[in-house]
Amino acid sequence: MKVTYNWLKECVDFDLTPEQLSDLLTMLGLEVEGMEKSGAGLDDVVVALVEEKKQHPNADKLSLCRVNNGKEILDVVCGAQNFQAGDTVALAQIGAVLPGDFKIKRSKIRGEESCGMLCSEKELGLAEESAGIMILPAGLTLGQPVFEALGLKDTLLEIGLTPNRADCLSVIGIAREIAAKLGKSYTYPHTPIREGEESVDKIIGVTIEDAEFCPRYAARYISGCRIAPSPEWLVKRLNAVGFRSINNVVDVTNLVMMELGHPLHAFDCDQLAEHRIVVRRAGEGEGFVSLDGQKRSLLSTDLVICDAERPVALAGIMGGENSEISDSTTNILLESAWFLPSAIRKTSKRLGLHTESSHRFERGADIGGVIRALDRAAGLIAELAGGKVAKGVIDSYPGKSEPSRIAFRPERANQMIGINLVDSQIRDILTRLECEIADQADGSWEVTAPTYRVDIEREIDLIEEIARVNGFDKIPATMPEAQVVSDRPSAHQQLERFVRDGLVASGMNEIINFSFTAPDAADKLLLGADDPRRAVIRLANPLIEEQSVMRTSLLPEMLETLARNINLRSLDLKLFEMRRIYLAKGDNMPHEPIFVVGAISGSREREGWCQARGAVDFYDAKGIVENLFEQLRIEGVKWVADTPEPFYHPGKSCSIMVGKKRVGSIGEIHPTVQENFGLEKPVYCFELDFEQLVDLSCQKYTVKAPSRFPDSSRDIAMLVSAELPAESIIECVKSVKSSDVERVEIFDLYCGTGIPEGFKSIAIRIRYRSYERTLTEDEIGLIHKKIIDSLVNKLKVSVR
Amino acid sequence: MREKLELLKTEALKAIEEAAGEDALQEVRIRFLGRKGELTALMKGLGALSSEERPVVGQLVNTIRDEIESRIEVGLSSAREQAKAKRIQSERVDVTLPGRRQLNGTKHPITLVIEEVCDIFAGLGFSVAEGPEIEHDWYNFEALNFPPEHPARDMQDTFFVENNLLLRTHTSPVQIRTMLKQKPPLRIIAPGTVYRCDSDATHSPMFHQIEGLMVDKGITFADLKGILTVFTNQLFGQKSSVRLRPSFFPFTEPSAEVDISCVLCGGKGCRVCKNSGWLEILGAGMVDPEVYRHVKYDADEISGFAFGMGIERIAMLKYGINDMRLLFENDIRFLRQF
Repeated sequence: MKVTYNWLKECVDFDLTPEQLSDLLTMLGLEVEGMEKSGAGLDDVVVALVEEKKQHPNADKLSLCRVNNGKEILDVVCGAQNFQAGDTVALAQIGAVLPGDFKIKRSKIRGEESCGMLCSEKELGLAEESAGIMILPAGLTLGQPVFEALGLKDTLLEIGLTPNRADCLSVIGIAREIAAKLGKSYTYPHTPIREGEESVDKIIGVTIEDAEFCPRYAARYISGCRIAPSPEWLVKRLNAVGFRSINNVVDVTNLVMMELGHPLHAFDCDQLAEHRIVVRRAGEGEGFVSLDGQKRSLLSTDLVICDAERPVALAGIMGGENSEISDSTTNILLESAWFLPSAIRKTSKRLGLHTESSHRFERGADIGGVIRALDRAAGLIAELAGGKVAKGVIDSYPGKSEPSRIAFRPERANQMIGINLVDSQIRDILTRLECEIADQADGSWEVTAPTYRVDIEREIDLIEEIARVNGFDKIPATMPEAQVVSDRPSAHQQLERFVRDGLVASGMNEIINFSFTAPDAADKLLLGADDPRRAVIRLANPLIEEQSVMRTSLLPEMLETLARNINLRSLDLKLFEMRRIYLAKGDNMPHEPIFVVGAISGSREREGWCQARGAVDFYDAKGIVENLFEQLRIEGVKWVADTPEPFYHPGKSCSIMVGKKRVGSIGEIHPTVQENFGLEKPVYCFELDFEQLVDLSCQKYTVKAPSRFPDSSRDIAMLVSAELPAESIIECVKSVKSSDVERVEIFDLYCGTGIPEGFKSIAIRIRYRSYERTLTEDEIGLIHKKIIDSLVNKLKVSVR
Repeated sequence: MREKLELLKTEALKAIEEAAGEDALQEVRIRFLGRKGELTALMKGLGALSSEERPVVGQLVNTIRDEIESRIEVGLSSAREQAKAKRIQSERVDVTLPGRRQLNGTKHPITLVIEEVCDIFAGLGFSVAEGPEIEHDWYNFEALNFPPEHPARDMQDTFFVENNLLLRTHTSPVQIRTMLKQKPPLRIIAPGTVYRCDSDATHSPMFHQIEGLMVDKGITFADLKGILTVFTNQLFGQKSSVRLRPSFFPFTEPSAEVDISCVLCGGKGCRVCKNSGWLEILGAGMVDPEVYRHVKYDADEISGFAFGMGIERIAMLKYGINDMRLLFENDIRFLRQF
């Protein structure tokens, strides 16, 4: 909503600078989002008198002038012809900066010195085009800034209105707010009407067929108008608030809409069959050409204004081509009506036709202001287009209802806001807002809000008004007196943070991708035709196709993120994302479990002078997951090489199982998937079902004091089948149940030269230690032999 | 014999004095005190002495041995000190060479801000609540007093999915879900992901909010101001001041936009605050009675407030980020800075 400072001043007398006004409005909830001062920076353009004008000696088209700015006489070279000595002109003095960043400097033009420039309206940003320089009225004070002297100094305020404040979509609406806040009165713009002899209902007729959608329709008739361009003051006023001037009649309807907030429509009455208006619902599929030339197909939920035969306007939204004001129009039917907000909104939204008029009607115009707007506009049209207004008004008002009376408790207002106003202060605020108060026997009040305040319906709405007009800045900051009811974070919430901390401790960087993805993401992952992750939830109105389905896996965006970073030459990456995925559940609410995806690629270490830079592999990824599981105290984790996912390398991937539960998977990304995402180097990923981790994580645990006795280590090197999983060796050692075996570790793995085909060499180190005493060589030897026997017998290893 | 001993002593002490370093001293020890050393050799002559003289000379031998021994020890320890001092003097590292490091992990700035805000509110007695992102129209709009065909719905461009479901446009439906489950008193904070179909330098189709809700007997608008003042002071520092401006949200009344004094210019006016000195960071208000009606609370018995803030906005202010898109590009060079 745009409004100017001077325009507001015409309606309410206030003593505030534009900046103070802006603060006042903002603190009333009418947020001033922008301020633009006309003539800003043009203080160096001053009123001056041309004392003398003569021909430039070296140029036919230039003249030499001597110009008086009230302080001194200056020499100025000028190219315009439309003035003479004795004229008052606008002089841009040296140092002035004109619109377009045009700086005025002392200069020599064809050998003659020029100390400034005589300006045209165009050069001052006052007109689109101008012929010659601007001639000012005589008698202005010389040396005064031109904008000040002409009263052109104004400030445009741009106000961001919230959708509840339909009443402020006008100059008067904002003036009312200022008046209420400052305790002043305001005045409506008004034009007296000289009515003709003939009564309006003899000329035109109005029938409302749908009183729900159109509770009130008023009209006047103006005959003998001459359609012409609007006078300059009207054009400038409309331009100032962003309207294009059309003609003297349409401009008046727009002006009155801006003044009073009520949209009006002027019909060429001679185009209306039988000079009659019928307000009815459109027929299904009924056609209509709106003012913008668009052919529209209507529905029975659309309200149309018709003449005796056909639609002539889309009610409250836009007029029709068939009845618009044209240059040949002479007789006008002027409409001022009120339409049901939800009906207007539905039609305007469906047709994608949002107009200044629909904007106001769908937010709620003032049903009590219909006649005021009609009269103001009729008076102005008669004045500007020379027409004659027929006697009386047609005011069809079948939907008239009693204003709602709101039960109001002043003490409730204080209670709710946390302030202490006395009744008289509250009464004063409500009165300034033009509410009527009727005292009730029980001490409560019955309040009736003015008709323009469609947003005030309940006690709480009045309480808000009191808080607002009294000032939010007068509300103290207190701490609530309430019992503390805070719960500890749930295990789910705690672990969410815990998992992130754990992965960060492993050197991983968290990423966040959009929850929507491309429909072909499943193809790129090579998911099978019946993979449940293909059952995606689709957006009905995506912004772009690449973001049109909800993610069922975090992996595609992870791989894209890797590729994007690698393209930017960030090669060493350890990334994770921990977010929801979205799984369709038929007619039920979708399931939104949290998943964790990690991916690593590039070198293990940072680049540096002292660090070997080996490439990461499967075991780096596995180590991250193992660390995480240790931190979460999840035990009994099994790594089962069952080629779990189509997007992994089948020989370098596995399921992560805990008991019978599959909690995730890990592996090298399949070379084809790698290609699909434009990745050149191997990528190792893991995917974990966070909800399962929460179930499995053990948060209660006890610890053991370490043994105080010395340890002793023994190594076993053995030759085993290349196929034998390393884990079975550890399990075999542990199966010899001895409390003295403290730790078993694989410390060497070798296959190659010297090792027979189909075999590998594995070396383990067993650390022995007792909790009770120092173990003797004999005791250790005994257990160690048992272990070796077990390895030889059960796993057929040959000890080297 | 005595003369020989005295002569040996003099020689030994001279040798000790002249010995340079640990090795030379060890040689002196072997030469005089070793099994085949000069003192040992002299002692072989003890047997030839008279029984009166023997203990006296024997005593002298011991004294001389002890003296030589102790002189050698003193020499040795000073030689070791010298050697250590020399070694220390010669050893150097270039402390300016970078250390041997692992790559540091980082949390995403959105996560950091969510955790920080939740921690502050945990201290104020709020517990964390959550809800679905794919939400029913009823929870996202109707129960929050956005009737169908209401212009307020234009404030939030909505992504729709089938079955009358949509991507929640704010975290406010968590209020409804919580109130339907729990009776007052309650204090919750609900962080989460929200969606609006809008995309440019200042709008992302996916972003994050934190919702707060407190309902109890006798909660006032002044209490809302108090809680938010404490919160913003903790988040942005004690100096930030808070301003509430009237505004409109369908589910609160009175409603307010909450501004804090600009964290960059301290309220003097700068590019970030558009020269106003204020930054808008929160929307808030007293829960509208219409909302209570939907969750079957008695609006005459209790009162409460709700507030919501954009996490991206706070992250951008906190870390000086000027383009929201950076937050979702996941450029590692950006992420490693947190």
